Amino acid sequence: MLRTTVLATSFALIGGFAHSETLTFYTAGPGGLADALAEAFQAETGITVNVFQGTTGQVMARLEAEEANPQADVVVSASWGSAVDMHERGLLMEYTSPNAENVPDFLKHSHYVAQGISALAISWNTQSGTPRPNEWTDLAGEAYRDLVTMPDPAQSGSAFDLIAGLETAMGDAAWELLGALADNGMIVPGPNAAALNPVLQGAAAAVFGAVDYISYARAAAGESIEVIVPESGTVIAPRPMFILQSTTNPDAATAFVDFVLSDAGQALVADTWMMPARADVDGLRPGINELNVIEVDEDAAFARRDDIIARFNEVVTGR
Amino acid sequence: MLRAQSITTTLAASALIILVGLPVLFILLQAVFPEFARGSFGGAFSKLVILTENERLLMQARNTLLLAFSVMIGCLIFGLPIGILRGLFHVPGARVWDVVFLIPFLIPPFIAAIAWMMTLQPRGYLFQLAGFDMGRFLFSFTGVAFVMTLNLFPLVYFAVSRALEMVGERFASAARVHGAGALQAFFLITLPLSIPAIAASLLIVFAMSIEEFGTPAALASRTGFEVLVTGIYTRLSDWPIDLSGAALGSVMLMAMVLAAFTLQNWIATRRSYVSQTGKPANPEKADLGAWRWPVLGVFGLVALIGVVIPLAAIAVTSFMGTISGGLRWSNFDMRHYEPIFRSGSRAWQALMTSGWLAVLTAFATATIGGLVAYIVVRGTGRGRAVMDGLSMLPNAIPAIVLAVGIILFWNSPYLPISIYGTAAILLVAYVGILLPYPIRYAVARLRQISGSLDDAARVAGATQLRALRHITLPLMAPSLIAAMMLVFAIASRELVASIMLAPAGMRTVGTFVFSQFEQGSVQTGMAMSMIAITITSAILLAVNLWLARQGSSAFSG
Repeated sequence: MLRTTVLATSFALIGGFAHSETLTFYTAGPGGLADALAEAFQAETGITVNVFQGTTGQVMARLEAEEANPQADVVVSASWGSAVDMHERGLLMEYTSPNAENVPDFLKHSHYVAQGISALAISWNTQSGTPRPNEWTDLAGEAYRDLVTMPDPAQSGSAFDLIAGLETAMGDAAWELLGALADNGMIVPGPNAAALNPVLQGAAAAVFGAVDYISYARAAAGESIEVIVPESGTVIAPRPMFILQSTTNPDAATAFVDFVLSDAGQALVADTWMMPARADVDGLRPGINELNVIEVDEDAAFARRDDIIARFNEVVTGR
Repeated sequence: MLRAQSITTTLAASALIILVGLPVLFILLQAVFPEFARGSFGGAFSKLVILTENERLLMQARNTLLLAFSVMIGCLIFGLPIGILRGLFHVPGARVWDVVFLIPFLIPPFIAAIAWMMTLQPRGYLFQLAGFDMGRFLFSFTGVAFVMTLNLFPLVYFAVSRALEMVGERFASAARVHGAGALQAFFLITLPLSIPAIAASLLIVFAMSIEEFGTPAALASRTGFEVLVTGIYTRLSDWPIDLSGAALGSVMLMAMVLAAFTLQNWIATRRSYVSQTGKPANPEKADLGAWRWPVLGVFGLVALIGVVIPLAAIAVTSFMGTISGGLRWSNFDMRHYEPIFRSGSRAWQALMTSGWLAVLTAFATATIGGLVAYIVVRGTGRGRAVMDGLSMLPNAIPAIVLAVGIILFWNSPYLPISIYGTAAILLVAYVGILLPYPIRYAVARLRQISGSLDDAARVAGATQLRALRHITLPLMAPSLIAAMMLVFAIASRELVASIMLAPAGMRTVGTFVFSQFEQGSVQTGMAMSMIAITITSAILLAVNLWLARQGSSAFSG
């Protein structure tokens, strides 16, 4: 991974560059988790982990642009479909960590395994003066006129998963719901953080389809936010972790995957308010078993991605 | 001598080709060959169909042009009056105002957009203070143009004030001796002579408007208003990504900027704007007299809207314990600053990295840009023609597209050795992105400096190099230094290329703030922005004070 050049060595902007053993880790947020994992892993093994953290889109864009000359060893994305796709293109190394034993079967594969799991929920500002919403359909009511936001499914993979899930569970009624939300003045301001921000300040009252761990963390920081998971069901977004076939350092890469799935690593995952991938590690919040999870055929939904987003734009954003 | 000239021309041309030309070539190859990034030339032209069947792309192109023109007009309204006043009169605290109006460059556009959002949206700070909101205004075409204008109007301010300082009172005095009134002299003499600089700055406004992503993404998506860059970014950041489609979309952007550049070039070259002939000039500016207070009022009003309100919104947000807690005294504390000041923190590393990169970028762009400008304006023969074409390149490429081009080129399987994955790649990207500033500023300035000054030095026995060093360079210095300050300010908060190119393990101020915002900690992002803005402002203020102490002798003609 380390390509030595005259420029690089004379350009001493970053420390730890000339370390003998390094691992390059590309990951979707949260960035605090990536740093914590990197530091704990380095303390345990002495291997330096160079972290690139961005949105799933940025991570995947970088991987694709670097395909002819890959840089990363280990990758965590926030989109399960991305791992499936990369595996089908033969880009992933096969590895099953001994620590993955307690990861539920549907969250692991010969070439990739979940790091943690988030779920989609309603994030509601408790000081908004609106009644507490209990169901997805509640937000189409008069009480929430002009007060609902939703992440853009074109930018937020999890929001896309939610639409696919609601369509699975409700059929065409899902589109009627989205249409009613749009008629009720729901805005689609951008990715997840852009949808949550107006709700924090009170410009809106609730996010339809918020990534739960972000809102849990904000609530823990003192914001008047409540995370509500509708009883009718929601979708979960497991975050796949995988080793690239092109890695030049498979021993360090497998050691890192083992570490993320160890007790210590999963505890760090839990600290971010995500659900740990291992069923035997407790999270800080309700786990998968306490949620009514809508099963989504990821591959089928992904194949229809363009159609679903086009229909969303037609029904909701009027683009 | 000819030999020395051809060597410098070759050097400057190579720099432009490596920094910008090859990345652009690789983008074009990617546009034609979809499998190019994987080292294959298969499936040629299979993606070009996107251009013809996409009505949305045309709509985005229309929106882009509309927005860019609106922002240009907005920048004239905000930047031209204060620029003229600063250039022609003794404005009290002139150098302080210069630093104040650099601040908009230090605020990342998307952070400024968020600050305006938190101020004007329903239940925002304005509502909490005054009981009404301006959400309807902000989330509209006018609102997007307004916020982008506030990011960019200083370009016009600096260009106009510097140009008028150059033109000076001398020509206007001559006109008045011949019976022209003060206003007549201004509109017939001073303003027309400043047109190259004004046109150059408007062109930069145009280019930056059409390649601006943060503001339209933050504000315009609320109204379904899409521009080309958001379209390109979507193709690059939404998985599965479409490198070819993004490359195709950027071709339309390049066409727009090239058209604007041709227009500007035509304005600048169709007659002579030489005002620096070496004859003694009276460097004194006019006194404002009784007009001093109204003028200060205008400066204050522009500063209030363009600098104070967004900065205050950023500062207030950074000190808020919780956003939902609102503007209450009990809700203000320093808790979001603590993790940044923790010793050896990543935030601190990010500040250092951005600082060094911005300084190196400023010097590198000034060197290359000054050289390129000199050859474009003063060069002869084929070298000049080649350089003229090459110097347009950096302008026509949006930062995000250049970043992808840099990835494609520096990471290609055809290179035996590469700086990809090292800090140097960021320097290369910054220099490529920010080169237009010194080139434009220096070209506009050189067009005002008569070649006869060089000739006089040569007649007196100086070599061309000596004439360059002792005559032309000192005359160019004010524009180059102004450009360097702009480059430093923008490089210290660069975002798009940093996200795409920063090697794993390396953070800049921009990527740190962006990731804070992405994860929902708006306050930490705002706290980091505040620290970066404060440090950069302090450095720029120090440079300005130092220049003032050196006196005008070192840097003015």
